[in-house]
Amino acid sequence: MNRAKDWELPISEAELTGLTRELDEAHRETIPSMFARAKDFSEELADTTTDTDTDTDTGTGVRPHSVGRRGFLVGVGGAGLGLALAACSSSSTSAGSGAVPGAASGSASASAGSVYTGDLKVVALATALENQAIAAYTAALAAASAGKLGSVPAAVGTFAQTAMSQHSDHAKAWNGVLSSVGVPTISGVPLAGQPQVLSALGAVTDVGGVAKLALQLENQAAQTYLFAAANVTSAGGIATAASIAPVEAMHAAILLFVLGEYPVPDSFLGTSLAASTSTLTV
Amino acid sequence: MGDQHLDTRQLGELSVQSQDLNSDAVRITREVLGEFAQEQQEQRGARGRRTGLLAGLVGAGTLWGIGRAAAASSSDDVKALQTAASIENLAVSVYTTAAGLSFIKDGNATVAAFIKMTTAQHTAHAQAFNAAITQAGGATQSAADPKYAAVVKAALPDIKAPADVVKLAITLEDVAAQTYTKYVGLVTDASLRKLFGSVAPVEAQHRAVLLAVQALLSGGGGDLIAIPTQPAELPAAAGSVGFPTAFYPTTSASPISEGAVS
Repeated sequence: MNRAKDWELPISEAELTGLTRELDEAHRETIPSMFARAKDFSEELADTTTDTDTDTDTGTGVRPHSVGRRGFLVGVGGAGLGLALAACSSSSTSAGSGAVPGAASGSASASAGSVYTGDLKVVALATALENQAIAAYTAALAAASAGKLGSVPAAVGTFAQTAMSQHSDHAKAWNGVLSSVGVPTISGVPLAGQPQVLSALGAVTDVGGVAKLALQLENQAAQTYLFAAANVTSAGGIATAASIAPVEAMHAAILLFVLGEYPVPDSFLGTSLAASTSTLTV
Repeated sequence: MGDQHLDTRQLGELSVQSQDLNSDAVRITREVLGEFAQEQQEQRGARGRRTGLLAGLVGAGTLWGIGRAAAASSSDDVKALQTAASIENLAVSVYTTAAGLSFIKDGNATVAAFIKMTTAQHTAHAQAFNAAITQAGGATQSAADPKYAAVVKAALPDIKAPADVVKLAITLEDVAAQTYTKYVGLVTDASLRKLFGSVAPVEAQHRAVLLAVQALLSGGGGDLIAIPTQPAELPAAAGSVGFPTAFYPTTSASPISEGAVS
């Protein structure tokens, strides 16, 4: 990363190292509990897979036989959740918090007979969104290293690397759920809007442009997790989504600060920018 | 604290912009509360119908059991809302007190603006939680969380500088964020899940900003706390100190009984 010339570190290296160590320790402490939640979620899904058959009425492919088992009930999940997510408008509230291009278009691109049904569809969407963020930050860091973004402040470089690492942890957690129930993990970005995101990323020429695009991705992820937490009825799924949404929102707050905007503009997180499962292409 | 890099006109515009966005968010929350009210009515109706239907089929003891189970989950939801409201009440009280401290009101204008906006946001949260309590037929909570009120009381004598206020605020924001994150999975009503889920990330954002401010203050970079900031002058750590974990923890979440109205 190119750093601004004549920049002086306002805190000592020792203080900086201490801060970084504290961050890393705090991060490591949350990982085991998080993966325990994801494991619970996997068990719930596995239980349901065993106990279900195809529900031709809803097209979800899942009909819970025992709604009492660990509180799992697809309910508004599956097709219902997909329709509800698709119904989320993509209206923008500010220039810095608009919708990701094409991400919530509502176009039905998910293939019929997909292995990702019911709550698994939401898991697949979450994994794809995390991979999208990882890909965007990876591309941005590569562009910065190649000098294509001009001078890149050190704080922005650290932000991108740390946020990317956390998105990677999120993706691993979601992929762990997918693999544990015997469906393929998702390593790419199977989203209908991905070409537009790549195009937008390729067009940016400075750090501000990258930050705005990253802000859209973070806002979309946070709002998607809020919608998922409210509509997925698996206890493990709710807890997992609920624990990730605040982190994506924190990323957004720091990005807003770097962009010169007020970092906490809303009193309540909305869902108008939530991604739709209908944009999944797998 | 210095006030370099501060564009007060732009800060004013940003505040207006944020208030507009805030209005949208309040509208969204009204919708959530509307959904909650409708669900409450439907539950009461279903309970009444179920009572009438089952009355002829089973004994009064079973009926009492069904009613008690429904009331228990609803009661826990109300307790969770009351505890949440108590945390918000405490936050409002702390930020309001902080805003009156000389080193805050005469200090860094961005910090003062943040405290003002954050107070308004916590007020909105308290109102939303109390509105939901009312919808559920419970008693609204106007008192502060007793556990953390004691923590605040113990900390007050040592608050002598902005960094002390920031440290205390970080504690409260983290407790709020952890508590609501946990409650998303505890409450029985989907619209309440959405309510808690829509507030937890905002408290986490407050914490993220405060962590960044704390790092800048401790490193002697108080003059970098400005909107717009000077990204090129920020230390590298400022880019990551605001979000220390990949998954928001819940180990310090308050139990639902902590701020419940007795």
